[in-house]
Order: sequence, then C-alpha cells, then structure tokens
Amino acid sequence: MIGCSPISGGLKQFIMSGTRMDFHIPTVRSVRAMVDQLPNRGREAEMLQEMGLSSMEDLFSDIPDDVRFKGELPLPGPQSEEEIISDARRLLGANADMGSRPSFLGAGLYRNYVPAAVFQLVTRGEFLTAYTPYQPEVSQGMLQAMWEFQTLISELVGLPIANLSLYDGSTAAAEALTCAVRVHNRKASQPNTVYVSALTPPDKMSVMHNYCQGAEIDIRTIAHNDDGTINMDSLKEAAGSCGVYLEQPNPLGVLDEGLTGVKAIIGEHTALIVGVQPVSLGVVEAPGHYGADIVVGEGQPLGSPVTGGGPLYGIFACTKPYLRLMPGRIVGRSIDVDGKEAYCLTLSTREQHIRRHRATSNICTNETLIALMGAMHMALLGPDGLRDLAHRNMMACQKAKEVLAATPGVRIVHDAHHFNEFAIEVQGSAAACLDYLDSNGIIGGLDLGRWYEGTTNQLLITTTDQTTLRDIESLSAQLALWAAHGEVSA
Amino acid sequence: MSHLFNHNGAENTGYSQPTPLACETEPTVPQGLIRSNAARWPRLSEPEMVRHYTWLSKRNFGIDTGFYPLGSCTMKHNPRVNEVIAQLPGIADIHPHQPEHHLQGLLSIFYEMQHMLEVCAGMDQVTLQPVAGAQGEFTAIRCIQEYFRHRGEDQRTKVIVPDSAHGTNPASAAMAGFEIVEIPSLADGRMDLDALAAVADETTAAMMITNPNTLGLFEADIKAASEIVHQAGGQMYYDGANFNAILGITSPGLMGFDSVHFNLHKTFSQPHGGGGPGSGPIGVKAHLAPFLPGPLAARREPTGDERPSAVDEFWYHWHQPEHSIGKVQQWHGNAGAVIRCWAYYRRYGSGLKAMSEHAVLNANYLRHAIHREAKKAGVDHLFIDGAETDVAKHEFTLSMQPAKDALGISAMDVAKGLLDRGYMAPTVYFPLVVPECMMIEPTETESKDTLDTFAEHFAQVLKTDPEALHAAPITTPVRRVDEVYAARNLCLRHPYEE
Ligand SMILES: Cc1ncc(COP(=O)(O)O)c(C=O)c1O
Repeated sequence: MIGCSPISGGLKQFIMSGTRMDFHIPTVRSVRAMVDQLPNRGREAEMLQEMGLSSMEDLFSDIPDDVRFKGELPLPGPQSEEEIISDARRLLGANADMGSRPSFLGAGLYRNYVPAAVFQLVTRGEFLTAYTPYQPEVSQGMLQAMWEFQTLISELVGLPIANLSLYDGSTAAAEALTCAVRVHNRKASQPNTVYVSALTPPDKMSVMHNYCQGAEIDIRTIAHNDDGTINMDSLKEAAGSCGVYLEQPNPLGVLDEGLTGVKAIIGEHTALIVGVQPVSLGVVEAPGHYGADIVVGEGQPLGSPVTGGGPLYGIFACTKPYLRLMPGRIVGRSIDVDGKEAYCLTLSTREQHIRRHRATSNICTNETLIALMGAMHMALLGPDGLRDLAHRNMMACQKAKEVLAATPGVRIVHDAHHFNEFAIEVQGSAAACLDYLDSNGIIGGLDLGRWYEGTTNQLLITTTDQTTLRDIESLSAQLALWAAHGEVSA
Repeated sequence: MSHLFNHNGAENTGYSQPTPLACETEPTVPQGLIRSNAARWPRLSEPEMVRHYTWLSKRNFGIDTGFYPLGSCTMKHNPRVNEVIAQLPGIADIHPHQPEHHLQGLLSIFYEMQHMLEVCAGMDQVTLQPVAGAQGEFTAIRCIQEYFRHRGEDQRTKVIVPDSAHGTNPASAAMAGFEIVEIPSLADGRMDLDALAAVADETTAAMMITNPNTLGLFEADIKAASEIVHQAGGQMYYDGANFNAILGITSPGLMGFDSVHFNLHKTFSQPHGGGGPGSGPIGVKAHLAPFLPGPLAARREPTGDERPSAVDEFWYHWHQPEHSIGKVQQWHGNAGAVIRCWAYYRRYGSGLKAMSEHAVLNANYLRHAIHREAKKAGVDHLFIDGAETDVAKHEFTLSMQPAKDALGISAMDVAKGLLDRGYMAPTVYFPLVVPECMMIEPTETESKDTLDTFAEHFAQVLKTDPEALHAAPITTPVRRVDEVYAARNLCLRHPYEE
C-alpha cells in the first residue's frame, strides 16, 4: 500500500482484529448467507463420492503446497442480503448526490433525465445477464438492438458507419487518433503525428498519450483564440499530419463555426476527428455534414446517469475508408439458412480474438448494456424529442448566462454561442469560491485551474435539462455574496 | 419481426418534456452550424417502445434464461440486490469531480475493494480504474514499461505469451509498443519451461500468463516460470480471467507474479450486459505501485481541522502515485460496476474460498457426468479431453476431433445442437491449441441437477443424426446465421432508401 500515511500499521491492525466498526462480524446466521448463491452446498460429499474423491481438498491436489494459501482469508465474514443493502445505504448515503442540491458540475458528464422505461427494460435478465453474442441464433435481441444503435448513432453524427461502443469518450478519442495514423501514415507528410485541441481536458489528454505512445505517435496541440474559437493559423500546421482532434461544443461549451472550414484546410489525407456532446446534435449540425471523417464522444448524456464516472459508453463513427482499420465490435444484418433476416457480429478479423497482436484494438468487453440504454433513450426521444432536449439544455444555459452576467463580481469569459456550459471569471480563486459555494449547499461547477494554466479564477458552469430557475438564482445570490465577502477579506 | 425504424408516428415521442426555462433572448446556434437535416430516428410512443424492446429481449439468451457454460467467461448468477444498490443516488447521481468530502462513501468502498483484492491476490496495491480485463492488461503492461524506463532498461522491448493465451494479451502488449514472443505449449496443454527459458533474456519486459491456464489446468511449474523470468530481469503478469478457480486457495502473489488484472465482471458478478460493461482493476507489487494510474483511494487519521468521515473514524481521500502513467479512463473507472462487485464480495467475505471450491467442484463433476452419460449412450468415443489431467479447475476442454473424423460432426455442430436443447453453447475453438475445442465452465451457481441434465443432453446431441445436427438449430428465433453473407454484403445500419 502506498500513499496512505499510517498505512502498513493501519492495514495490519485491520486484518488482525477483524472487528472494525464498519465491517460486519460473522455470526452463525450470516455464515449461512452464502448458501443462497451456492445450490450445491450440502451435496458436496455426494458429488465428490461419485467422482471417486473423498474431500474438497482432493480437487486441489494439483496445486503445489508452496503456493498454497494457509488459513482463511483475512477478511470480514459473510453478510446476508439485508445486511449488505443496509450497509450500502449507509455508505452511499454518506455521498452528496447531485440531486440533493443545485449542481453546476458537468465538464464531460451531464445529468439529463433518463426516462423510467429505460431502467425497467435494461434490467430484463435476457439483456442484463447475457455475454457477448457469440451464438447469434440465441442472441438476436441484443444483436438487432446494437444494429439499431449503430443506425441511431450514424444518423445522429451524419456518418455511415458506427461501432457498438468503446469504453468511454476518452478512449474513443484516443482510439480515433491511433486509427487515423493507421489509415493515413503512409501518405502523411507528417507521419506518426496528430494534432489535438489545446483545450482538451488533461485527463482525456492523458488517456490519449497512453494509447498513442506504443505506436510512437507524436501528439501536438492546436491553439485557440481568446474568444474560445480555433486559431486557424495554428491549425494550418496540422496539414499533412495523420489526424486532427477538435470538440464541438468545445470543452468550454463554445459552439465554433470555424470547425466547418477545417477539413478544407487540413485536406483529404488528414482525418478530421470531432468529439461531440451527443445531445447538442439535436440543434447543432452533424459533424459528418461538415467534413468529419471520424466522430467520437461520450455517450452518457443519452441514456445513462453520471454514476461516478462509469460505466459510460464511447461513441465511435466513421466514413468508409476507416472501416477496416477501426476499433470495436460491429453488427451486420445478414440472413439465416432459410433466408430469414438475421444479425451477427461482422468484420471480426480486425479484432483481438482473431488478429491477436495485429488487432486494431485490444478491446474485448465493451459497454454494450450502456449503449443499449442509449438506444432506448434515443428511441423514446425521436428526432423531435432530441431537438427539444437540446433546446432545453441551451435555454437553461442561456438563462444562467443572463442571470450571471447581471451578478456583481462575475464575468462571462467568452462572448460566444454556448451549448450547455460556459466559463465565468470570479473574484479571487475559483477553488476558494467553490468551497464557499459548497458550504452554502451548491456544487458550483469545475475549477478551470484544474485544467489549464492561468485560469485559476475561472469556473466552468454546466446546465442541463435538470437545472431549475431556483438553482440558477441560488448560484447567482451566493456568487454575489462571495464577491462581497471576497472584498471584505481582501 | 419488430423493427425500430418502421415506427414513424407523425407526432410521436416516447416521453414529453417540460417547457424550457424562459430567457430574455432566445439562444442561437451560429448560422453555419444549424442542424440541416434532423436525424432520421424513429417516432415511437412509450407503449410501442416498451413492446419493441421486450420483444427483442425475448430473442436473447441470458443466465436468467438457462444454463450458460461459456468457458473463460464465468457466467455465474448475478444477484439482483446488486442492481438495486447500483441505482441508489449515492452512486448513480454522483460526479467524479465532486470534492472528497462529498464522496466519502464512494472512497471508503473503493478503499475496501482495493484492500480486498490486494488480500486475495497477494499484491501490495490495487487500482480500480481500468474498465475491462483487456484495459487492465494494457495498464499493467504500461506500468511495467514505465518501471523499466525509470530504471534505464529501455532494451526490454519484448513480452512473452504462451500460444494458448487469450487474444487480448498479445493485443494489449502490442498496443503498449511491445514485440510479442509467442511460446508453444506442451502436448498436454501445459506451459513449456524449456521454451520459456530459451526466450527469456535481457530484452524481456514481461511474461503474461493465466493460471489455471485457458485449458483449465493448474500450471504446477508456475513458480519455476516466475523464477526464469525474474532471473532474466523481467516481470510476471497474471491474467486474472480465471481467478474464480483459486480464490482463497492460492494467489498470484504466492505464485511469484508482480502484477495481475481482475475481471470483476467474471469473478465478482458484474452482469455482462450482452458484451459489457466490465471492470478490470489491476494489482501490483510495491515496486510497480508508483507507476499506477491515479488517483487511488486512500485513508488516514484526520489531522488538523479535518473531521472523521461520515463513514467511520478515517478520512478518505484520493492519492496520486508518484510516477503515475496517467489515466486509462477519463474518470475513476466503472464505479457503478465496482459497487455491484463490492455488494457481491460482501456476501462471501472471508468465505470467498467456498465460491472457488464450488466452482471447481461443479466443473469436475460436470466433466465426470459428461463422460458418464456419453458412456451410457455409447458415444464416449466421439470426444476426448482437451488435456489429460486428474482434476480440472473451474473449467475444462473437450476436443470433438474424433466426432469430426468419424461422423463429420464439428464442435460448432455440437454447440448448435445444445442451443436447440435450451442451453447456451460452451466456448468453441478457443484455446486454439485444442483441435475442435469446446471449453466448458459451469460456475458455482449451477445445481447438481442442472449439471446432470446438461450431461445427458450433451450425450444425446452426439447421438443425433449428423445431417440433422448440421441443420441445427431449428428451435431458435433464427437458424444458422450466414456470417460470410454478412461480411460480403455489409449492411451495418438501417438502409433507409429501401
Ligand atoms: C483469459 C482471458 N483473458 C482476458 C480476457 C479479456 O477480458 P475483457 O473481456 O474484460 O477485456 C478474457 C475475457 O474475455 C479472457 O477470457
């Protein structure tokens, strides 16, 4: 163990005593708890005897003594379902959920309302407890649902091909970069080089570095102007590289019309990769319609709660030249031996179970069930529902901008079109301001000092369809007080 | 058939939304960015949508539907309380960037899970960030890579994997930039120590191996293998997909490994959801810990004006490892999956060994029962064990090569025959080292009666007229799907123009 100062001492004490208050002490009743998961408890002797064995030990006769665990695992005893759920309520109840107070924290994850039918349907055991559809004849339900998901995503982003999910928005962006290099490296005048918006959140950038370093891909950055839009001079340097990654809206919520001109500048042999907030595409142009070759994004706002940052699902869509070098599973429509419509996984020769070390990606388990939640949410919304949802996000954002623009001590950083988040400047340090807001029961957004240099007095404010007028008014009132209080303490 | 894209009610939406907040000025999208054509999504009312997905679900097979002996996948029952817990607002509605004092419950559960996995695996530090087994492999191999760079041993550019390894092992190592050295297995499916000794040298960064191996055999020579690799200066990596066989009995730490990944969606019952999500934490020995992706959950006695958490007497906080490789997922990993697995672990606690014992009991019993029933039915000459062994671990392999030679019945035919009898088929054609392989893993959550009945059906399938078996399945929603047609006539989305 590292990083937890009195650790080794604390750890040992925990193992030895086994009597910590928050852990359950085994009782005769709860030792029975595991019986509810093991149907053959009580039948061991009968089964062993039939095999000609005399004890459970005999089943492990092939494990040499010098690697054997001696004694019981130094862990607390088993618990019954009632005890587990009561502990879960107590421990998770110690978290401050965003629904319990006004929250303006987003920065890549967004708490849109997810309709009840999504939860009800996705927990049907036939979906929930299935493995990857390796036997298509008995997996038609999930296969068709994922083929429909591919269509929904393809339509949403305006590109002909979509896979059935990657891990999250960050790995989707990272895999798009490596995919772009695979496709364009031979013709690139800047081989093994990609360009990424300098505004890309550092945690996402870090994922990109981890995924790209193995192929020795050089990640360079593209600068932005003071108004948040892309700097076209800086962009020009990317011509001849393998790919360019930009977000729309950008990480500061700015809708940048400049992206529609990017493909013309970087040219045919450089992939334009656009990262999207999928809900925005109800009102914002699909990147496929302004030249994007690959569209990626964090799918979570469609279908899934924020869930502490996972499970989420990464969107990955592309044009035809990328198809055979793209990562992730794909469902195709086919026929069965009777000529009946049927679905199956296809183009698997790109994948690790066939191509092994030459695979386009190592991904195996993905995020199918969360993608299914996305598909269900999209199916419920329909095109008009998506437009309405996007509009509500924008209206909440506009309202917050109007109220905060009139709040003393607050400045809106970018005079721009925003989708559902925007940067503000506050008096003093953003971190201290966040603490102040928190002590008044408000989750005040993201301290942009965490992301960039020179922005320690800026907050990223996020609104969603869940943001109320009262939330915005409370934020404004507290920011005004902070400004006054800040002046007092200055 | 029910088709999502056939629904086009003129005004339908599956849920109507409240009116937006009123603004002084209507917000606008820049002129050149206004959406030109709406996505051609279907229009369904809620009742239509519910019926469509219910119909789809009935065309899908899960553990809840029936026995699911899919080798290497550990398809055990998923306790339902875990789903209830994962929907509590204290996990569903929290943001990873909230301040630590908002997340004391999450941090304490993360801390407890890290600790539990460290104890079970014999490792010094666990991170929960990787979101699947393959990502865990990649993360650990990246840590090993940075460890060697830190030591100035940049010449260690190779990773050794046995030919029986899962495809993700070589794929993950290659993605991190390593050259793959594949070593052959012995005729009995076990690791070849001589082959290992012949390739382990000063260019070796790591060996990746799972134990029990993908044939379900425990590699008794594992310590010797660890010694060979360590002597060459390399690191040992344990693929934890088969952890269900050994929990509380042995551990990667005891076998000499330096790093390990866990498939929480296998061993600890995160439902597999038709392909994911998963959770693939890794554990490492102390020398690799500074390189782990951050942050990790940590705790300390409260100091200064810190108060104890609402959870217990400790203060829980995030900790950034000193030479961290950075992130492999943007947030803290699949927290929702970790919570489910925490609930699963709590059910067994110190009794986790019983879980593995029963998994191994069931696998051996099923192997015995299949041979028994095959003998009774006179079809025992149609298959052989994939590997000769007295005891298997949590899974075992059969080779259907004799059936293929005698009757033209392939492993795939047998698989399809089992589908007709209401079972999910075992894993077929993996590992590649067993010809006409069927890999069977019953898990601990199946009753003796289920295993006996399955064994009878397995024998009956082999008695089926080969022609009929080639035509199987006939009772499923569709019959054999033409994968070649799918690849030649690519149709990856709804063709609107038809
Ligand atoms: C032996 C083995 N190793 C690694 C993996 C990869 O794990 P995941 O699918 O979680 O990425 C699997 C599972 O498919 C496996 O069976």
